[in-house]
Amino acid sequence: MDNAVLSHWVTTEETRRALPDLARRAAPWLTRRRFLAGMGVAGSAAALAGCATSASSGPVTQSAGAISIQSNLSAPQAKASIEALAKGFSAQHGSPATVNTIASETFRTQLPSYLTSNQPPDLYTWYPGSLLNGYAKKGLLLDVDEAWQTMANYPAAFRTLSGDGAGKLIFVPTSYYWWGFFYRKSNFAKWGVTAPTSWSGLLELCRALQAKGVAPIGLGAGGNTPWVASSWFDYLNIRINGAQYHRQLLAGQSRFDDPRVAKVFEQWRTALPYFDQQGTALSFQEATTSLLQGRTGMMLIGTFFADAAPKDTIPDLDFFQFPVLDASVPLAEEGPTDGFFASSRTAHRADVLAWLKYVATAPAQELYIQNSSGTVLPTNPDARDSGTPLVAKGRAMLAAAKEVTQFFNRDSSDALQPTADAALVRFIQKPTELSSILTGWQAAAEKVFAS
Amino acid sequence: MSSALTRRARTAGFHLVAGGLSVLWLLPIALVLLTSVRTFDDIAANGLGAVPRSATLAGFGQAWTDGGEARAMLNSLIVSVPTVLLSLALASAAAFALSRYRIPLRRAIILLMLAGNLLPPQILLVPVFKLTELMGFYDTLPADIVVQLGFGLGFYTFVLQGFMRSIPEEIQQAAVIDGASPTQIFVRIILPLARPALAALSALAFTWTFNDLLWAITVLRTESVMPVTPALLGLQGQFVSNWNVVAAGSVIAAIPTVAVFLRFQRHFISGLALGAVK
Amino acid sequence: MLLVFVLVPLAVEAFWVFWPALQGFYLALTDWDGVSAPRWVGLGNFAELFGDPIFRTSVLNTAIWLVLFGGVSAAGGLGLALLLLRERRGVGFYRAALFTPVVFSLVATALMWQVIYQPDGLANRLLGALGLTGWQHAWLANSSTALYAVLLPALWRQLGYVMVLYLAGLNGIDPVLYEAATLDGANRVQQFRNVTWPQLRSVNAVVLSVIVIDSLRSFDVVWAMTKGGPYHSSELLSTYMYATAFQSLRLGYASALAVVIFVLAFGVIVTYLVRAFREEAS
Repeated sequence: MDNAVLSHWVTTEETRRALPDLARRAAPWLTRRRFLAGMGVAGSAAALAGCATSASSGPVTQSAGAISIQSNLSAPQAKASIEALAKGFSAQHGSPATVNTIASETFRTQLPSYLTSNQPPDLYTWYPGSLLNGYAKKGLLLDVDEAWQTMANYPAAFRTLSGDGAGKLIFVPTSYYWWGFFYRKSNFAKWGVTAPTSWSGLLELCRALQAKGVAPIGLGAGGNTPWVASSWFDYLNIRINGAQYHRQLLAGQSRFDDPRVAKVFEQWRTALPYFDQQGTALSFQEATTSLLQGRTGMMLIGTFFADAAPKDTIPDLDFFQFPVLDASVPLAEEGPTDGFFASSRTAHRADVLAWLKYVATAPAQELYIQNSSGTVLPTNPDARDSGTPLVAKGRAMLAAAKEVTQFFNRDSSDALQPTADAALVRFIQKPTELSSILTGWQAAAEKVFAS
Repeated sequence: MSSALTRRARTAGFHLVAGGLSVLWLLPIALVLLTSVRTFDDIAANGLGAVPRSATLAGFGQAWTDGGEARAMLNSLIVSVPTVLLSLALASAAAFALSRYRIPLRRAIILLMLAGNLLPPQILLVPVFKLTELMGFYDTLPADIVVQLGFGLGFYTFVLQGFMRSIPEEIQQAAVIDGASPTQIFVRIILPLARPALAALSALAFTWTFNDLLWAITVLRTESVMPVTPALLGLQGQFVSNWNVVAAGSVIAAIPTVAVFLRFQRHFISGLALGAVK
Repeated sequence: MLLVFVLVPLAVEAFWVFWPALQGFYLALTDWDGVSAPRWVGLGNFAELFGDPIFRTSVLNTAIWLVLFGGVSAAGGLGLALLLLRERRGVGFYRAALFTPVVFSLVATALMWQVIYQPDGLANRLLGALGLTGWQHAWLANSSTALYAVLLPALWRQLGYVMVLYLAGLNGIDPVLYEAATLDGANRVQQFRNVTWPQLRSVNAVVLSVIVIDSLRSFDVVWAMTKGGPYHSSELLSTYMYATAFQSLRLGYASALAVVIFVLAFGVIVTYLVRAFREEAS
């Protein structure tokens, strides 16, 4: 805008007075009343549009065609593995299968909207537990009994796991893994210590490591991974009180301020002095680095942590079982299981069931393991695992267990997990506040169970 | 003589302070850059905070192709450009009408539009998801455009009316005398005068829309239409993440928004010769 | 014609924001898990809120956050804008440097800040080098330092943004006014008090509203760094609301929390704005 043009718009007193008339001249029919009326009409029109809480219902017309798999396996190797599976399925079955990989946290928060949308994805990766049972009760999950007809060789434990508690089968397990005290063989050799087989042996090991200036027990319950602390609670509980009590507690049938729970923490307290001081400040990925570098001696962790280790260190890894505390308690281990489930409103039921049958077969599971990092076990008893001594040891340990629990959030719910995180991290940092921690945990848990 | 010296001292002082602040500010970014050129094994063996013992550009390649970032960036652009253009057009129109004319209830309307942004967006996610399904474009990019448009309007209108309010009356009245219609006043006078505000808001709006996460994951679910921020999240694993690839992806994702800012910043500044009105 | 200018944006916002917001308000009176039909509980959620110790903690933390985060970003943003106002060599780079945190992906930068705050990370190493070993903490893992530790990255991301708003506002001030003030013999500080600050009034209304909104809705940084932990010591109203909605799956209760946030934000902003509008009209 040049100066000449600007100076042309010089004001006069008349114009200033004329300004209020402008609105009226621009839209002479605009009165306050009409304005408000217009707003009201627009408002009610909008009110007729969708309601947030409605859900679609009614039968879905079936058709053959491509099936979509919504997957949370976003790590590059896992993603490659499931895409290899999809390719194998398409080659065998004829119809294509597309995999949609979404970040795990996004997947978890959006799962309700995926399942309740008008055209839900056909298949989903996830794990069984109360979450799926909840969805099954609301009729959102497909009955996969037909797929289980072809899985007669699976142990009964998997079948129970995949049920919704009301007789229907809603899940097909394809892989599982284990938890243990992992350590570096070369480091143990360097320090001249061996894996313990009892709790007192464990404490002795810790004292020996401490004398060498190593933080005996590593933990990665800081950053974004406070949930790893739950493995301690889980294992101590199933060792002291048994898997059945543990499951009842997590299902809300017992109280967290019960003396049996306090016993778990008293046992834990004996090992607390040997925990890494930085344990609640590091994520488990960083804690893995500490373990590999020899700053900590061992860590109670699941096999997935091996993905955080450089490839050349994996042969150096070994683990020992969480020591048995009470021989009279039936032996239980943590063996989280992963697999697939399907939406009940899928438009391609036949193809979905074909996929589920496919992934339950031994060749498919071997294909998956080949492409992945090799530390998971196939659920099909006839399938071969990656064959390393580590994997064989893990598989044997789980096979010897009378009961297999899944992990805190899988046995209870994702809603209860944050209450555990808060309570357990607080206990690790301030063990003297145990009674207020337990009452607080019970109060928080009650709110979760009530909803 | 001494004034030249003080001037040089002042300049040196300015650069010291501003430069020092910039270095401090860019420190975490520098860390991201450092991480992006390391290998996974280096990070796994030595930790994120350690001195790098490797240098490679493989992370960038991995993020760009395997991570699908190329497509995600394109999606982000497809969403951001129309959103910014449309929202600023609509918002400036509303701001113009509400700040320069005595429309009844104008202050209430401004507050109402702003109130739309006071509610935490997390609580709107499920209703909005259902609305996009109802409208039939769930899981398509236009859904993301429309939703972000709707959600940003209140705020942009509020900001723009604040800036437009301070434009002197005389200029507008002179145009009225000349018989200009409101639309002409809007386009020929007010918009150019509001250029600093519009430029600032464009840079901000582009940044927010480009980097948006919440609305994208609410109205989109297929990998191929995901914009860049959810795609970056997808570079992380369920348990273990390749931080070098995530860092490299973040660096790539930052380039368009930094470029837009650099391009637009001289417009915040090029004030106008209001003083020419004499 | 003028009506169209206002009604079209208003209609768009009404459909995509107000309608879902009304549903959100309705949900605050129900108990809902996101999947089955909602169950009416009237004001039950609000009653529960007032007895909830975590709610009380988060309100306190949010108040602290509002004062510290809000105050520093306003003053700091203005200061930075004043510093980098004049066009001179290098100023474009400095402005871009301060704005870069705003545009950089939160995932990567939150990770780096976590690394900086690790017990053996940069922050503690710097303190050690300066001889301040007594000040070393596990910043994000310690319940007494977590909230304040997260404040720093949040400010780091906010200041560039506020600076941009103030830059645009400062550039709308007529340079003639400064010339007149200089002729009258006013020094820098006096110019600021008598020319800049009054002229910034309408911009201030915008910036301060923005700051209040951002303080009350501050979520991303806190969630990415601590998720409100350790054990709720850095829990803000916004993080508590998110956790309730998407971890505990209690969408009715979360909506009630959202209503509380809304009422707080609305209350603060409206009182300020109504006063600002009234001042302008007179």
